[in-house]
Amino acid sequence: EDETPSYSRKGADTCFQCHDDQTVLAVFRTKHAVPTDPNSPFGHGQLQCEACHGPGGDHAGRVRRGQERPPMVRFGSDSGTPVRQQNARCIECHLTNAGFAWHGSSHDNNTVACADCHTLHVERDPVLSTATQADVCFDCHQQKRTQSMKPYAHPLRQGKMDCSGCHNTHGNTTDRLLARATTNDTCYDCHAEYRGPYLWEHAPAAENCANCHNPHGSNYPGMLSMRAPTLCQSCHSQAGHPSLPQDERGLPTGTPSRYLLGQACLNCHDQVHGSNHPSGSKLMR
Amino acid sequence: AQVDTSDWKCESCPFEKGYRAEVDAGATHVGKDGAIRFGNATGYDDKGGYVNVDGHGRYAADGYRIDWTIEDLGLDSRVFELDGGRQGTFGFHVGYRELPYRRFDTTRTVFNPSYSDTITLPDTWQPAGLTSNMTQLSSSLRRQIIGSDRQIIDIGADWMPARDFRVFADFRRQNRDGIDITGGSSFTQAALLPRWLDYETDQIDAGVQYGTNRASVTLAYYGSFFTNQNPSLTWDTPFISAQYRMAMAPDNDFQQISLSGAYRATMWDTVVAFTLASGSGEQNEPLLPYTISTIVGASSLPISSLDAEVDTANYALTLTSRPLPNGRIKLAYRLDERDNKALQSDWTRVITDLAPFGQVEQNVPYSFERSTITLSGELVVWKDIRVSAGGERKKIKRDFQEVAEQTIDAGWGQVRWRPLAWLDLRVKGGATERDIDRYDETIAISLGQNPLMRKYYLAYRYRSYGELIASITPVDWPVSFGTTFLYADDRYNKSQLGITDSEEVRATVDLNWAISDKSSLYLVYGHDNIDALQLGSEQFRVWDWSARHDDNFDHFGAGFHWSPPEGKYKLRLDYDRSDGETSIELFSLSGGQSRLPDLTSTLDSARVEASYQWNERLDATLDLRYERFKVDDYTLVSPATIPTVLTLGAQAYDYDVWALGLGIRYRFGGGDISLAD
Repeated sequence: EDETPSYSRKGADTCFQCHDDQTVLAVFRTKHAVPTDPNSPFGHGQLQCEACHGPGGDHAGRVRRGQERPPMVRFGSDSGTPVRQQNARCIECHLTNAGFAWHGSSHDNNTVACADCHTLHVERDPVLSTATQADVCFDCHQQKRTQSMKPYAHPLRQGKMDCSGCHNTHGNTTDRLLARATTNDTCYDCHAEYRGPYLWEHAPAAENCANCHNPHGSNYPGMLSMRAPTLCQSCHSQAGHPSLPQDERGLPTGTPSRYLLGQACLNCHDQVHGSNHPSGSKLMR
Repeated sequence: AQVDTSDWKCESCPFEKGYRAEVDAGATHVGKDGAIRFGNATGYDDKGGYVNVDGHGRYAADGYRIDWTIEDLGLDSRVFELDGGRQGTFGFHVGYRELPYRRFDTTRTVFNPSYSDTITLPDTWQPAGLTSNMTQLSSSLRRQIIGSDRQIIDIGADWMPARDFRVFADFRRQNRDGIDITGGSSFTQAALLPRWLDYETDQIDAGVQYGTNRASVTLAYYGSFFTNQNPSLTWDTPFISAQYRMAMAPDNDFQQISLSGAYRATMWDTVVAFTLASGSGEQNEPLLPYTISTIVGASSLPISSLDAEVDTANYALTLTSRPLPNGRIKLAYRLDERDNKALQSDWTRVITDLAPFGQVEQNVPYSFERSTITLSGELVVWKDIRVSAGGERKKIKRDFQEVAEQTIDAGWGQVRWRPLAWLDLRVKGGATERDIDRYDETIAISLGQNPLMRKYYLAYRYRSYGELIASITPVDWPVSFGTTFLYADDRYNKSQLGITDSEEVRATVDLNWAISDKSSLYLVYGHDNIDALQLGSEQFRVWDWSARHDDNFDHFGAGFHWSPPEGKYKLRLDYDRSDGETSIELFSLSGGQSRLPDLTSTLDSARVEASYQWNERLDATLDLRYERFKVDDYTLVSPATIPTVLTLGAQAYDYDVWALGLGIRYRFGGGDISLAD
C-alpha cells in the first residue's frame, strides 16, 4: 500500500480557495514567501504552504457531510499538533542556523515550540524586534520580567535592549545559552573596559561578573547583588575597617562613616574591576 | 517520493512588490524638570518639547528587498537600521543606535568642568583636612549631571555563493562618552570625582559556514579592540594642595578563532555538536609612575608596561540522542580556561603620597580552569507524564587563591504532567554541593584576612531548591493563567565568617483574558525575596557581629487593549507598580542591636496609547505617559556630610513626571493584501 502522504493538486492556489484572509496572506510580507529564493517555501519547486503545514491532499479533498477535514500541521503550543512535530517542520529548513543547537537545549527540553516565540504570518515578528522581544520571552520567563522591573536593571523595560543581546535563544554549547563563550565574555561585548588584564586583578571579577552583579536587575545601584560595604565584607575581613560592622552609628545622625555612606568602600577602593597602577594593589588608584 | 509540483503555478500568490512605509511623526511635551532618570534609555531628560519620528518601510522587487526602521529619531535614544539584499544570495545591514544612560542631575561638585584626563579645583580653592572646614565649599558647588551616551554603528553583510555555503562579516563600533563618578582617594580622605569618560570599542565577527541537512561547520573570528582616550586621571585633591593620579581602564584587545559544528545521525535522531575556541587577550598600556608626588621619591618601575597576555580556551561537546521513542538523553562536556600569562614582578607600592612609605608586593595573575560534565535524560513514562533528571559535575581549578580546587556536584529532577489539555504542571527540584579541596588559610593570612573568613564564591555550599510551574489554558474559556514558585536555600555550613546562609523565594502570577475579539486584559504579579545572613569579626577572632539582609521586591502590572478589527479607534492602557525594599539588621558586641534605614524604591508607571484612523492611510495618535519614582537611600548624603569624603551630594530620586505626545501616522503604499488575479 502506498503510504506516501498526498499533497494538494495545485499547491497554494488550492489553499487560497478557502484560506484567503489577511492573517494568512500576510505570509507574503515575510521571508517565507520569496519566489526567487530556492530555499524559501515559495521558492521554485518548493512546497509552498504545505512546506510548513504538511501534505494537504486529504485536507483539501472531498469529505462526507458532517465529517471533519483531516487536520494540517498547525503551529503554537495550543495548536493540537505535537510540538516535536511542529518543530521538525521548522528545523528541516533552519537546521544550520538554529536546528542543530536546538537539540537538547533547555528550550527543547521544555518542549517549547518555535511558534511559541515566533509569529510567522506577520510582517514584523515581535521576537525579532528589540522593542518587543522581551515581552515575548517574559511570557514564559516570568521571574525574569519581575527582575527586569527592579530599579537598577538593563533597559529592557524601556525597550532599548533585548534578551538576545546576551543569550543565544536557539541553544548552543554555552552555559545558560549565553551569546559568548562565558559570562564575562558576554558582558565584555558592551563593557570591554573591564576586560583587562590588569596589573592588579580582582580575582572574583576576572572570573565571573555575576559574583557581584545580578544582570537581570537589582535593588541596588550598579545591579550589585548586595550593597557595599556588606557585599565587600562577604570576602574581606582584614583587621581594621574591612572587618568593622557598619551600623547605625555611621549614619549622618551619628558619626558619618566613610565606610557606609557615599559609595562606601568605593569611596577609596574605586578600581574594583582591577587596577593598572603600579601603586594600585589595594585597588585605590 | 518526489512531489510533482509542475501544476503548482501559485497564480493567485500576491508576491511582494513595490514600496510600503509607515511613518509616525509627532511632538511630545515632558511636563516636569528634575526627572533625569525618566530620560534613562528613553532620551526624555528634561522638561520641554521633543519632536520625534518613528517609522519603517520596505521596497521589494524581483527578489531584492530593502527594509528600513527608524525609532526615536528626535531623541538621544535614536535608532536607524537598514537591511536588505537578495534573499538566498546576499544580505547586508547598516545600523546606528544611541543609548543614553542618565544617573543623577542633583549632583554638585567643586571641581571645574573637565573633558580630559585632568580634574582641577577653582583657583581660589582653599584646601582643608575636613569637609566641614572647607570654607569655599558652598560657594564653589556647581551642578554636574552624571550620565553618558553610547553610540553604536553596525555594518555587516553575508553572502551565499552556493546553497550550503555562507560567508558573513559584521563590524560594530561602540563609543561611550560622558561623566561618571570615580572615587579619588588620598589615603585617608577621598573625593568623588566627576570623571570624563571617552571609550571606543571596535568589534568584528566574521566567518564561513557550511551546512547541509546532515552536518554543519562554522569557522569564525571574533575581535574586540578597546581604546580609552583617558587611560589615567589626574586630580587636585580638595584636602591638601596636591595632585594625585590614578590609572583608568587600559586599552586592551581580545581575538578569538572558533570552529563549531554539528552532525545529525539518523540512528536515534542523534546530534553531536562541538565548539573549539581559542582566544588571546592583550594589554600593554604604558604604566604610570608609582606616584607624581614631589614629596615622595618613587623608585623606578620593574617594567614600563605589563605586556600582559591572557589566553582563553573554550571547548564543548554535546551529544543528544533518542534511543527510545519516548526517551532521550544528553551528554555534555565543557571546558573553559583563562590562562593569565602576565609576568610577576616586585612592585614598591607607594601607600600614601604624603610620606615615603613603600611596600613591596608582587602582582598576582589569576588563572582558572572550569570543566563541566553533564548527563541528563527524559522519559515519557505515561502519555501525559514526562520525567526528566540529570546530574552534573563541575570542577574549578584556580591559581593563587585560597581554594585551589572546587568540585560542584549537582542533581535535579523534574516531573511534567499534563493531565488535561488545559492544564500543564511542572515540579522541579534539585540539590548542589560545592565542595573544596581545602581552604588555604596561609594565603588568607598573607593577605591579612581573618583565617576564619570564607569568601562566598569559594566557600563550601549546599544548595537545595524546588520549583513549581503551572499553566492553565482552558480550551473553551478566553482566559489563561500561569504561576511559578521557586524556593532556594543556600547553606555555607563550613563558614564561620562571611555569608553563612541565604534563602531565595520567587513567585509570579500571570492572567490573560481575551474579553472579546476587540479587547483583552492582562494582570501580572511578581515577588522576589532574598534573605541572607553574614557574620563578621571586628576583634579578628570568631564572629562578633552579624548582618541580616532582607531584600524584597514586588511588581504588579495590568493592561487593557482595545483594538476592533475593523474599527477606527484603538486603545492601549498599561500600568506597572514596583516596590523594592531592603532592610539590614545588624548585631554587634560593640554596638548591640541596630537597624539601618530601609532602602526603598517605588515606581508607578502608566501609559495610554490611542489612535484614531482618519482614513486608510492616516491615523491620529496620542501617547500619554506618567511616571513616579521615589527612592529612599541613606547612603546619598550632601557633599560635606562625611568629614573625610567630599561627595557629589546626589539626592535620592523623587519625581513624578508626565509626557504627552501627539502625532500622525501615515502609510505609503501597501494596504490590504489581495490575491492575484
